[in-house]
Amino acid sequence: MSVLEIRNLHASVEDREILKGVNLTLRSGEIHALMGPNGSGKSTLAYLIAGHPHYVVTEGDILVDGESVLEMEPDERTKVGIFLAFQYPVAVPGVSVANFLRTAVSNVRGYTAQKAVAEGRGGVIGSNLMPMREFRKELNDKMKEFNVDPSFARRYLNDGFSGGEKKRTEVLQMAMLGPKFAIMDESDSGLDIDALRVVSDGINKLATSDRGFLLITHYQRLLNYVKPNYVSIFYEGRVVMTGGPEVAHMLEEKGYGWVEREFGSEAVVA
Amino acid sequence: MSVIVKEAEAIMQSAAGFSEATVRAHSAARGEPEWMLNFRLEAWRLFEALPWPKATDEAWRRTRLTGFDLTRFKPVVIPAAEGKKSELSTLLQEELDEMESAASIVFEESELRNSVTRSPLDSQGVIFLDLQSAVHQHADLVRKYFMAEAVKPGQNKFTALHAALWDTGVFVYVPASVRVTLPLQVILNQSSEGVGGYHHTLVVTEAGAEVTVVDDLLGARDGLQASVVELVIGDSSVVRYMNLQDFDHSTWNFLTGRAVLGRDADLRWIQVSWGSRLTKAFLDVELSKPGGHAELLGIYFPIGNQHIDHQTLQIHRAPHCFSDLLFNGALKDKSRSVYMGIIQVLPGAQKTDAYQRNGNLILDTSARADSIPGLEIEADDVRCTHGATAAQVEEEYVFYLMARGLTRAQAERMIVQGFFQAVLDRVPVESVVHKLERVIERKIGG
Ligand SMILES: Nc1ncnc2c1ncn2[C@@H]1O[C@H](COP(=O)(O)OP(=O)(O)OP(=O)(O)O)[C@@H](O)[C@H]1O
Ligand SMILES: [Mg+2]
Repeated sequence: MSVLEIRNLHASVEDREILKGVNLTLRSGEIHALMGPNGSGKSTLAYLIAGHPHYVVTEGDILVDGESVLEMEPDERTKVGIFLAFQYPVAVPGVSVANFLRTAVSNVRGYTAQKAVAEGRGGVIGSNLMPMREFRKELNDKMKEFNVDPSFARRYLNDGFSGGEKKRTEVLQMAMLGPKFAIMDESDSGLDIDALRVVSDGINKLATSDRGFLLITHYQRLLNYVKPNYVSIFYEGRVVMTGGPEVAHMLEEKGYGWVEREFGSEAVVA
Repeated sequence: MSVIVKEAEAIMQSAAGFSEATVRAHSAARGEPEWMLNFRLEAWRLFEALPWPKATDEAWRRTRLTGFDLTRFKPVVIPAAEGKKSELSTLLQEELDEMESAASIVFEESELRNSVTRSPLDSQGVIFLDLQSAVHQHADLVRKYFMAEAVKPGQNKFTALHAALWDTGVFVYVPASVRVTLPLQVILNQSSEGVGGYHHTLVVTEAGAEVTVVDDLLGARDGLQASVVELVIGDSSVVRYMNLQDFDHSTWNFLTGRAVLGRDADLRWIQVSWGSRLTKAFLDVELSKPGGHAELLGIYFPIGNQHIDHQTLQIHRAPHCFSDLLFNGALKDKSRSVYMGIIQVLPGAQKTDAYQRNGNLILDTSARADSIPGLEIEADDVRCTHGATAAQVEEEYVFYLMARGLTRAQAERMIVQGFFQAVLDRVPVESVVHKLERVIERKIGG
């Protein structure tokens, strides 16, 4: 059992405070939905968990099993089991999905920490990556399992991918990396109903007892496919309410206007 | 098929600098026919008449020849007599073994060291011969094409010098409708230090012929190389040409190349500029008949104090031609790159489709890339686009890759490799791709 804990997290970007005391706990085996209006700071929170250098933590902490990750580089955080599926995955020109994933997987599984062994003619001399054959097989299997066309292995990362293809490839990468905590930032947005089903099937397959999910979403829609244990409402840089699945339904009925009236800065003054 | 050698060795080796006598001795040592001697002497007079590049010349404004002194470079040692051949060095043997070629020719200095033919080229009428031998054995063809159709001796100071003193080189001739599927590989290793070399590549294809030629250029420590590449491409002929320049980082390197395309001809030219202290390369493609298709792709990666300058010209003379140019370079340390390019569309070249892009990835703030794209359009129904970029490694890419477990160094490495990929993807020989990837890896290295 692992725990990801966000404690009174305050963070700013360019001297503007975006997160204003976030508290949230995610345990293995849990699916926790985080819902909130545009600009409330959901992606900022996701980026902070993954270690984006642009944001500055001014107060509070992020802990994995009691250890702070704040001083860790993003790649070190992947080694303690954090994974972020991006709201807007960036296209990296000329870097193929297979090529980069092999290095990523090799790092996370500790291959690169070992001594290099020579690979065949024409290959890398002294490679300490996961053996090509094993990697290829695993990638092929996972591509089948998560409904990603095999041609994507050779394609360049998110380059010319449709919205749905990007999100599916994010799920594939998660499957390969096998994280303890997956932060899914709007993995459902911009998807048609078929793509939504593929992505949510993927999440359900990966939602095992040794893994926790933070599902950031605007809509109830995703939650029809992936059943959360908890739903939190995020507003103006903090979690304002946490409950069971019924919170999502309530939000669907009352809308974010209700949240603003109930929890907005005006409401606090009044 | 090797070169006939005469006596003049002693003079040539002792004399630094150049004179008409140098040219005469150079030719005599090679036992050349009179027409070639006269050609050289004519070029020598041109060389003497042409002024040295000045800092005020547009082509040389950003690439200065400060510190360049031609008289310091000994003309190359005369080719050795037959029988003196020794084993190829491991370096050259590896270069050879790496590629599956139809035939190969290896030069060391101005000496033909090795020539191997693996495919039945002769029976198809294909000529793949060192240029000195071709002057003797195929005088009519060489005389017709050598510095006559594509690059003229008077094109610039260095082409004149080259025409007067050319030493190594190959002649490739592919008759109509003959397809040579595996590449023809040429390796030049200018192995002595401090000498000047003048390598020539002359490729002539007839209608419907297909060929791939690879020039592998090595060595030239503290030396000079002023090479010329000429591709004369017949109607509907397909030519793939790769110029892989990996000289020592102390070489002064001057290259002038031009391809002339016939009707519906198809060219892909890969220009790789890894080595040299200074490179000034003039590369032209001339679409002289309708339907021509030319791709000019370049990569460079200067490090340290290297200075790499490419100046390209896409000349559209005929209608319905396509040309696409992409030069991508990464720069480290205090290196410098210059890219100047012009798309020239002459009157009557309607329906021209021409592209030109130059991308620069600046890895250190002390490096500098200048990019000057240009259009000269004298036809009204054309589509031309050009663009240049200079950027540093994108932090959002680095973060994305790191968030998947790559270290910063791995992420940056991958992004730099990826930056070159748009060109590497279009390199038609796989072993060349691997080789280029290894050099990029080494250059990123540190
Ligand atoms: N790099 C940045 N520079 C400046 N401002 C930023 C940056 N990142 C986020 N912000 C600001 O922080 C606020 C929160 O943005 P964030 O993207 O976290 O919201 P969000 O809840 O994910 O919104 P959405 O639902 O639209 O995805 C916004 O006002 C945004 O403009
Ligand atoms: Mg967001």
